[in-house]
Amino acid sequence: MPEPPAYESTITPPHSVNLQVSLGRVQLANPILVASGTFGYAREMESLVDLSRLGGIVPKTITRLLRKGNAPWRTIETPSGMLNSIGLDNDGIELFISHHLPYLASRNTALIVSIAGRTHDEFVEMAEMLSAESGIAAIELNISCPNVSGGVDFGTDTSMCERLVSACRQNSSIPIIAKLTPNVTSVADMACAASAGGADAISLINTCQGMAIDWRRRRPLLGNVVGGLSGPAIKPIALRAVYQAARATETPIIGIGGIATCDDVMEFLVAGATAVQLGTVNFYNPKASMEVLDALPEAIGELGATCLDEIVGTLNID
Amino acid sequence: MSDAQGSSVQSPLAAAHYADSANQYRVVVTENERLARDTYRVRFACPELAATIVPGQFLMLKLAKTDDPLLGRPFALYDTVLDTAGNPHAIDVVYLVVGKLTARLAASRSGDAIDVWGPLGNGFSSQPVEHLIMVAGGIGQTPFLALGREFLGRRQYGVPPRVIQPAKKVTLCYGVRSLDLLSGVEDFKGCGIDLQIASDDGSVGHHGLVTEVVEKVLTENSAAVCRIACCGPEKMMEAVAGIARAHSVPCEVSLETPMACGIGICFSCVVKTYQPDGDWDYKRTCVEGPVFDCEKIAW
Ligand SMILES: Cc1cc2nc3c(=O)[nH]c(=O)nc-3n(C[C@H](O)[C@H](O)[C@H](O)COP(=O)(O)OP(=O)(O)OC[C@H]3O[C@@H](n4cnc5c(N)ncnc54)[C@H](O)[C@@H]3O)c2cc1C
Ligand SMILES: Cc1cc2nc3c(=O)[nH]c(=O)nc-3n(C[C@H](O)[C@H](O)[C@H](O)COP(=O)(O)O)c2cc1C
Ligand code: FES
Repeated sequence: MPEPPAYESTITPPHSVNLQVSLGRVQLANPILVASGTFGYAREMESLVDLSRLGGIVPKTITRLLRKGNAPWRTIETPSGMLNSIGLDNDGIELFISHHLPYLASRNTALIVSIAGRTHDEFVEMAEMLSAESGIAAIELNISCPNVSGGVDFGTDTSMCERLVSACRQNSSIPIIAKLTPNVTSVADMACAASAGGADAISLINTCQGMAIDWRRRRPLLGNVVGGLSGPAIKPIALRAVYQAARATETPIIGIGGIATCDDVMEFLVAGATAVQLGTVNFYNPKASMEVLDALPEAIGELGATCLDEIVGTLNID
Repeated sequence: MSDAQGSSVQSPLAAAHYADSANQYRVVVTENERLARDTYRVRFACPELAATIVPGQFLMLKLAKTDDPLLGRPFALYDTVLDTAGNPHAIDVVYLVVGKLTARLAASRSGDAIDVWGPLGNGFSSQPVEHLIMVAGGIGQTPFLALGREFLGRRQYGVPPRVIQPAKKVTLCYGVRSLDLLSGVEDFKGCGIDLQIASDDGSVGHHGLVTEVVEKVLTENSAAVCRIACCGPEKMMEAVAGIARAHSVPCEVSLETPMACGIGICFSCVVKTYQPDGDWDYKRTCVEGPVFDCEKIAW
């Protein structure tokens, strides 16, 4: 086949690509968000990232009361990934509201506040407390943190999950996102439960449980013995989870897990994610979210699409 | 800047030293020279970083275009390198091979790409002092060439350049396991630092612990006009903090906590510090330190 002439572009120009997406009642300027626990309280990133370009920010999960978090070592690198057991180190919801919220809510981007309760009632109480505040686009229920006991039950038991999402929806005017764990037999069943509870969107995955050992000392490497695996190593697991959840429910999916480049983002969109969150990559390439945003319109244009709807969930499996 | 930022800076919860002048750069190795056993000095051009970084600050360094190792690693500024016009244009980092990244870095050649982000952390105090005593254990020597040069009035750092009233004397008490691990001696002596070496095996300098050398320096000089800046293994820094307390000498320690991001977003680099109310809390070394007043650390 003859080479096409050099002046003839084979790629559709990206000029008219519309990046807006909606997640239930939440409207985002674009599908690129940053994941809870991997972007601090955003203030830290001010010199490296133009926060207003992000589709949204999910700050570190907050709890009802202050938590000092787990003893070090809290992270350890593993092949193409890392294990963490931070243990939800945070200052509690009241100090979050007084000290971090004013900054976060005025960044010209969607603010999604991640919360974790020890009990059903604590989750609901926190969702209520946030409803009294302005500037919050959505609440993400972290029912999937592997590093604190309690939290994960809501993410592994379908009826607890549905009841929790539904109660938070009833008691809060702010849209609700349920963040799911991959450490279950059926991600699809959990997604259906969150959907039945009325979730505006479902984000997945949180980290995969794992551990690392120093055999010479016969010691675990993490202070907490086990932790959560993240980074490129878990991307195939996350893609599978997004694909299965998207087929099982109509509720929009936010894909998370090992996303580092624009190609990764496109894979998640095609698999069925309406938006994505960048996590661990912020640690080793702090400008990754900006690089992805720079490259995204052209990648969408390459598929001949002009908006995200023409891409999301278009995986061809025949 | 906005009020929100102002209030978050004053907030007791907000970190003291956000990476506000930090940027991320892809740079190229121009030199990678062996200095001692398992010890190398890597040089790369990065005028923006060289202009802004101050002694005791660090940068994150990651091998480019690979997921193995995945994360960057923190390294102190060894020194900046000036161009022919006298402007800072390159950075020297001195490192000890201890694991995956440092081993691969040691094998890197001129022309290899690395990713760096910085300047990070707070750096050592710029308050004037008559006699600055720097105490290093092993590879903990790396922050002290730049700090010594600055306090001897030989070099300025930062934009605008920090103005520091020169100290009358700058001593480096430098403990190593053995002579073959000793590095940077010419650099230290060349800029006028009073160098006092100790080795575990007696192969160089005082045969014994560096803390014994620190005791000696404090007794022979007037402790009242001294300040200590210390970097090395935790046990050694704790011991130096004890000596400083006994002599009522202010003491800063630079912690070498393992880090995943260096910019305050992962909460993995925490250290137990005393709070004003007497209780302790975990603080992020990368944005609250790495340099701390030794009295704040809950050893
Ligand atoms: C502010 C700062 C400045 C520094 N400056 C310098 C410098 O100028 N020169 C220099 O040589 N080094 C410096 N270090 C130390 C340097 O960062 C480490 O030596 C480096 O990260 C080692 O990387 P590696 O991949 O070679 O080793 P790795 O393969 O990561 O492991 C090295 C060693 O650390 C242990 N380790 C790994 N992960 C953890 C963890 N999470 N917690 C505790 N231990 C762990 C491993 O068991 C192993 O013994 C500095 C550290 C800090 C915090
Ligand atoms: C150090 C670290 C801390 C995390 N903390 C939280 C958290 O507080 N809340 C939460 O919902 N997820 C947390 N996560 C999970 C991430 O948000 C994300 O779901 C997961 O890391 C997978 O994405 P990634 O591979 O892109 O990192 C954390 C992950 C890491 C690595
Ligand atoms: S290294 Fe990530 S918060 Fe300090």
